[in-house]
Amino acid sequence: MKLLWAVSALLLSCLRANASTGPNIIAEPSEVVNQTVAILSCNMTESSLPIKGSHWLHNGQKIDTSVSEDSAPFTTLRLDKITHHSSGKYECVFVTEPEGKKTIEVKILPHVSTHKHSEHGNENDEAELVCDGHGYPLPTDWTWFKEVDGGKTPIINGTSDKYEIKSTPNKTTLIINSLSIDEDIGDYICSGTNELGTTSDKIHLRVRSRLAALWPFLGIVAEVIILVAIIFIYEKRRKPDEITDDDDSGSAPLKSNSNDNHKDKNVRQRNSN
Amino acid sequence: MPPSPSDSLGNKPLDGGWGWMVVIGAHISIGFAYSTPKVLSIFFKAIQEDLGASYSEIAWISSIMLAVMYAGGPASSMLVKRFGSRPMVMLGGLMCGASMVTASFGNSIVYIYFFIGVVGGCGLSLNLNASLTIISKYFLARRPLANGLAMAGSPVFLCLVAPLNQYLLDRFGWRGSLQILGALMLNCCVAGALMRPVLLPCKPNSCVSQKMLEEEPNKCNTKVQGGCMKEAKNFLNLSLFKDRGFVFYLIGNMMFIFGAYAPILFLPAYAISQGVDEYSAAYLLSIMGFVDMFVRPATGLLANSKWIRPRIQYFFSFAMVFNGTCHLLCPLLNSHAFLIGYTVFFGIGFGMVFALIFECLMDLMGSQCFPSAVGMVTIIECFPMLLGPPTAGLLVDLCGDSEYKYKYLFFMCGSVIVAGGLFLFVANIYNYHMLDKEKTENDREQKENPSENQEQVSLSEAQI
Repeated sequence: MKLLWAVSALLLSCLRANASTGPNIIAEPSEVVNQTVAILSCNMTESSLPIKGSHWLHNGQKIDTSVSEDSAPFTTLRLDKITHHSSGKYECVFVTEPEGKKTIEVKILPHVSTHKHSEHGNENDEAELVCDGHGYPLPTDWTWFKEVDGGKTPIINGTSDKYEIKSTPNKTTLIINSLSIDEDIGDYICSGTNELGTTSDKIHLRVRSRLAALWPFLGIVAEVIILVAIIFIYEKRRKPDEITDDDDSGSAPLKSNSNDNHKDKNVRQRNSN
Repeated sequence: MPPSPSDSLGNKPLDGGWGWMVVIGAHISIGFAYSTPKVLSIFFKAIQEDLGASYSEIAWISSIMLAVMYAGGPASSMLVKRFGSRPMVMLGGLMCGASMVTASFGNSIVYIYFFIGVVGGCGLSLNLNASLTIISKYFLARRPLANGLAMAGSPVFLCLVAPLNQYLLDRFGWRGSLQILGALMLNCCVAGALMRPVLLPCKPNSCVSQKMLEEEPNKCNTKVQGGCMKEAKNFLNLSLFKDRGFVFYLIGNMMFIFGAYAPILFLPAYAISQGVDEYSAAYLLSIMGFVDMFVRPATGLLANSKWIRPRIQYFFSFAMVFNGTCHLLCPLLNSHAFLIGYTVFFGIGFGMVFALIFECLMDLMGSQCFPSAVGMVTIIECFPMLLGPPTAGLLVDLCGDSEYKYKYLFFMCGSVIVAGGLFLFVANIYNYHMLDKEKTENDREQKENPSENQEQVSLSEAQI
């Protein structure tokens, strides 16, 4: 009997301790997993504390449209289209003394995107393929694959000097060294995995030969040289005729100077004929 | 009264024949000169990523190239007078080609500034100056048409090279593209080969080359306009400023250049702010270039007609006022269709002015003084050209986020250009009046002293 009293007193003191640390809030649902629409609600139960208002936080930032001065002990937030932007940690906050908070996690599959859909690299240089991860929770694992004959071969970090993978939760980089035209052209797939699943995206890699521009360059230079040669040879062949023409027409104008056109023209024509 | 077919040194310009091949050469050369600084901007993003430079650092490449091209005017004109057009255009082509290829191996932005900006700019400056000079030597009666056709090279090459550059960039990367672009610029050497030097016969007995003519000026002429030939070998020919017509032309031109380029740069942004989508906004500039391509030769043809040629300076002022008025009316247009209309008229106005811009200078100065005149004009025009767009940009920034921010830009550019056009109109009324007075005085003098006629050389053929 005495033992029972002691235990119940202990339990009561614990409960009271709990009550004195903050009001009890029930959050519904406790977690949102892979949904497109959700209504988050918080209900503050059995609290005699005065409520001056409530609002919601998304990843620590206050959502301005959710701020309310209402003293009601419950509040809801509607999420219409859950994408990687709107996923994350939502906290409902009741403005009381002390503040009452409860967190609801909105989780979706990771959103994996590439900076560019096709990348270029120069032969014997290195190429960097980058994938970004968005959403909550961020991918914990990244894997890279190379598409070969319709199937995917995984690229494993550290097995050779050729490939190097650097990953952080929100970004992964695949560095391919000494690009070769035969082996490295193709599609590369990056996959990000979090606790809900995996998504991936594809990048196409093109490798340019070092001397690719050389052939057009030489072709154009050859064309220029040939044309210049043709023009000069044509001119050399015509030159003797032109000199005599110039002499005849040149001498006339000096005789009849500044005055009028008409007479000059006639004189010149007569002379050159 | 149409201009006399023989100019001060008794040279009878061909006005046809091989002259048309020279026009083709000038077309290519001028085309590369004006379009290259603009089309290089297609490579900027790729160079930026590769070399890790900021956007403003990259944009300097084009500005340096344009600035050097214009500032190199006096030096190029001196070289062209000394050596003739053909060697200079070929040298210019080689310099441009070599500079592009060398720049393609660069790893720092300063390296590219030097090779593309400075060396390339010098090459283009030689090209521009020499091409304009040789047209003035080959044409007189049909010179406006020849000028219009040659200046049409700028929009033609812009329309051809811009998509080509985009293709080259995708296929070869920016380094390979610069190498191929360099090879293409070697075609300026072909253009130069076409520019056969004009032999200026001076004595009735022998054929004297241009070089000898300049070394022995006393044998060929006794009295030339404004001492132009005497100071011809000076680097900066300051005697040009004694010429009334030249000073008026310079002032009007400076006002035009100040307001001319900013609308082109800000047109896509303005269109987007009016609700046009990005793709169509970029398309507007292509429309302008396309219209420009046809307007320039057409203007040349029109300016050649017997009604306009004698008063070509008035036609130039009209073209400037037309251009400025287009800009003033632009902010009143809001819909996409009206914007396209504005772009078409802008293209017409722009093409008209540029077809006539050098023709009018040739008309004022004559073919002897033209090389040094054009060098002086280009180096002075450097300043409004470099100041215009940033001033316009500053105006846009000052207006903040108001929806009217671009309107003030168009008002400013339009009013400066209209003011320049009106100034030129009034100034030329005065100039033509004074020239008429001088001519009647001259004629009176000649009647009183007939024996001196044989040795006196006529003044510039532009006198009416």
